[in-house]
Amino acid sequence: MTEKARGSVANGALPWMVVSPAVLWTLAFFAAPFIAMAVVSLTLHEGGGFSFANYQQFFSNPSYYQALVNSLEVTGIVTVVSILLAYPFAWILAEQIPERWQRLALILAVLPFWTSYVVRSYSWLLVLAEKGVVNNTLVQLGIIAEPIQLANTRFATVTGFVHFFVMLLTLTIFANLKQLSPSYRKAAADLGAGPLRTFLHIILPLTFPGIMVGAFLTFVLAIGDYITPQILGGNNELLMPQLIMLQIGRRGDFPLASALSILLMAVVTVAYIACARWLKIERA
Amino acid sequence: MKTLSWFRLGLRKLALSATALIGLALSPALAEDLNALVWCDHSDPNFLKPFEDATGIKVNVKEFEGTGAGLAILDQSQPGEWDVMVIDSIDVRRGVEKGLFEPLPEDKLPLGDLYPQVKLDQFTKIDGKRYGITEKFGYNTIGFNKSKVDPNDMQTLQSLVSDKYKGRIAIYDYYLPVMGMAALAAGKKTAELTEADLPAIKEVLLKMKANAKLVGEVTASQTALATGEVDILVGGGEWVTAGLSKENPALDFSIPKEGGILWSQSLAMLSASQKKDAALKFIQYVLSPEGQARLSTSSCYWGMPANQKAALSDEQKKVLRFDEQPDFLARAQLYPAPDEKLDKQMQDVWTEMLQAQ
Amino acid sequence: MRSGIRLATIAYATLIYGFIFLPVATLVLFSFQATLFPVPPFSGPSLRWYQAVLSDARLTSALANSLFVAVISSAVATLIGFHAAWGFARFWIPASAILRGLITLPLTVSYLIIGMGLLVLFNGLGLPKSLIAAGIGHVVINLPLCFAILYSQMGEHQANIERAARDLGAKEWQVLLLVTAPMLWPALFASFFLSMTFSWDEFVISFLLTRFDTTLPVEIWNLLRSGLNPKTNAIGSLVFLVSIAFVLLFELALFRKPRS
Repeated sequence: MTEKARGSVANGALPWMVVSPAVLWTLAFFAAPFIAMAVVSLTLHEGGGFSFANYQQFFSNPSYYQALVNSLEVTGIVTVVSILLAYPFAWILAEQIPERWQRLALILAVLPFWTSYVVRSYSWLLVLAEKGVVNNTLVQLGIIAEPIQLANTRFATVTGFVHFFVMLLTLTIFANLKQLSPSYRKAAADLGAGPLRTFLHIILPLTFPGIMVGAFLTFVLAIGDYITPQILGGNNELLMPQLIMLQIGRRGDFPLASALSILLMAVVTVAYIACARWLKIERA
Repeated sequence: MKTLSWFRLGLRKLALSATALIGLALSPALAEDLNALVWCDHSDPNFLKPFEDATGIKVNVKEFEGTGAGLAILDQSQPGEWDVMVIDSIDVRRGVEKGLFEPLPEDKLPLGDLYPQVKLDQFTKIDGKRYGITEKFGYNTIGFNKSKVDPNDMQTLQSLVSDKYKGRIAIYDYYLPVMGMAALAAGKKTAELTEADLPAIKEVLLKMKANAKLVGEVTASQTALATGEVDILVGGGEWVTAGLSKENPALDFSIPKEGGILWSQSLAMLSASQKKDAALKFIQYVLSPEGQARLSTSSCYWGMPANQKAALSDEQKKVLRFDEQPDFLARAQLYPAPDEKLDKQMQDVWTEMLQAQ
Repeated sequence: MRSGIRLATIAYATLIYGFIFLPVATLVLFSFQATLFPVPPFSGPSLRWYQAVLSDARLTSALANSLFVAVISSAVATLIGFHAAWGFARFWIPASAILRGLITLPLTVSYLIIGMGLLVLFNGLGLPKSLIAAGIGHVVINLPLCFAILYSQMGEHQANIERAARDLGAKEWQVLLLVTAPMLWPALFASFFLSMTFSWDEFVISFLLTRFDTTLPVEIWNLLRSGLNPKTNAIGSLVFLVSIAFVLLFELALFRKPRS
């Protein structure tokens, strides 16, 4: 155990002095709001006392829990597709591109995300519009006869998400790949394994932490995101964040919105525990 | 090395002085400011500037869509934070019931110049006192691209639920007028809606949704119609087509034989406002011929001015179809005005419609 | 076989880069649109939307507000994150693991929920919406990040030098300010920079917690809702340019090899 500074009596107060701003801030502006939300979720917009009605409403109204189902489906698809697209890309960046160009390649990949998030989502709407770039190209190439509906669909929402999370996963997988000691590969080669076997049995498992961290971040960020589904989905279906914002925006129904938020948080917590468990098992 | 520590010290000082400045800025607003809760058509600088220049009062606007959203913002605000609000005429009573609105001085407003059909005293006057004054009106009906659809089909709401225009429709995302239209299609009157009518309304809505490409708010709907993404907008009207008539003259609207829904915006003064004189001045400006002309042709969406003496050009009057207004007004019904319980049920039906495939 | 793989590699990388750049390229292209709608056909380059953006007072003040909130909230987050990281790394504090977990907890919570919680709390306490409220929310989301980064960088190496400084008679605050902070400046810079990035582009918390004076993402959202035109493209392109400038700054500051 590292020796921590003890020294003079003044140290007694000092540790608390330096640590308390962060702790108090978190308690006041993260924990307290959460408790407030939990309390409010047990009240009703119309008044009256303690009630589970908001939660009951969620489980009994199909349009409501459908939103959670939609969120899980969309987030699931986004995570899987992003991993599949990002891994080869991260591999190429880490292995195929010469060392001195790697940082530049990474920066180039991250650069487009330096536009405003709202504007980027809106740009996807224009790209996928009936008269937009994608449809125009497909028609001109003769792949389709008439423009197809791409914007204002779940496909558009997924595309918007995947666009961002491919970048995120590329970063986490890239970092993981760079960390791998070359001795693993040498050992595998010495034992007679070809490149494919080396990859499948050595490299891929060793990059699982990078994938898992990226996947978890993707899950948390995507499931709580309001903008992308709102701009790109065309209200053709509702995801949880949209349902929550509907309650605040249209009716000022904080109790119901709070209950929905807590339910969303519960789902994310379950995912977090699952991930943490999995990572622990992997490490052991 | 030392430079960085001085830098951090300097940053600390900056943060402290900034906090002080913020504290100062948050101190009670100076008299030259007016806070207004409005629909997006009131943010047009062309509309606000003449007032601001003439009186020196700066108008801060916060936009919302739908009475529910506006009242929700008021709920989340402190008393005295807002001075003026734009609210659907039919919803003025909701604000009065919550004690939010201040009676307006009738002698200071050009009531005699308003279109009689939109004065709507039964909604804007409560207990003999006037709480709201209509400033702009229009129709939620069928907006369409006349070069892409058969205008004859647009004379009946049944075309919206048939298969002929599947995938060519957008629905305006405001439950009150669109459910009103669904009620008309089901042969009901909007003023007499009860819980028992909801199943019939839901059926119409679900059929419309099945034909729809998207459900969008003001801008999304306008864009979809204007760029040709869709050819019909349910709930559209001159508010969509008039402002875009220059860019796309093929856009038009019709009031079908079942009738259309009349939207009518009123101005109300908040009773907790600390700047009632400035608020009154603003209301008077909005209802003046010049204010009316600018509001009517505001950049977010156009609409009919409530004041018949609005200073519009002949061309603008033509786009707004001034001479057809008496016929339109005769065939239009008002927004549904549900109580809390029915309102929640209607919103639930709307949510169900949004989730339906 | 080798060249086949090479070709596939290049093709794939090009495809992904193309996918990544597609919306931005479209955005920038149609910011120069001459007519009203930013969809094809492209009608000749025109600067009218850039002019519109620069003369739009609401947009320019929103830009200033965004910078203001980003700088202040990032500074606060970095500052208290640094102190907390140092405190936990150097001293024995009871329930240390739990407190550290508490500070990093907000990382797993959606911004929407953090914003909602603050809205409910502030409403209940009668606190008005403002840029400060949004700034507080931004510190909440960035503090765990700063803390995690700085805590992971607090190692034996720095502890030894701090001990030496103390032996030479430096007081605690001097140790912190003149020894620890300068040694950790890359981590401090990274924390500040990352916090600025997240705060600058953050939408939900700003949307829920501001009233009139609002940040750029919220103002762009308002813009989108009240009249579609390529002004949005123009502001997006401008933000892009400013961000490139930031990245260059970051690169030069952090990665330029010192000549000594």
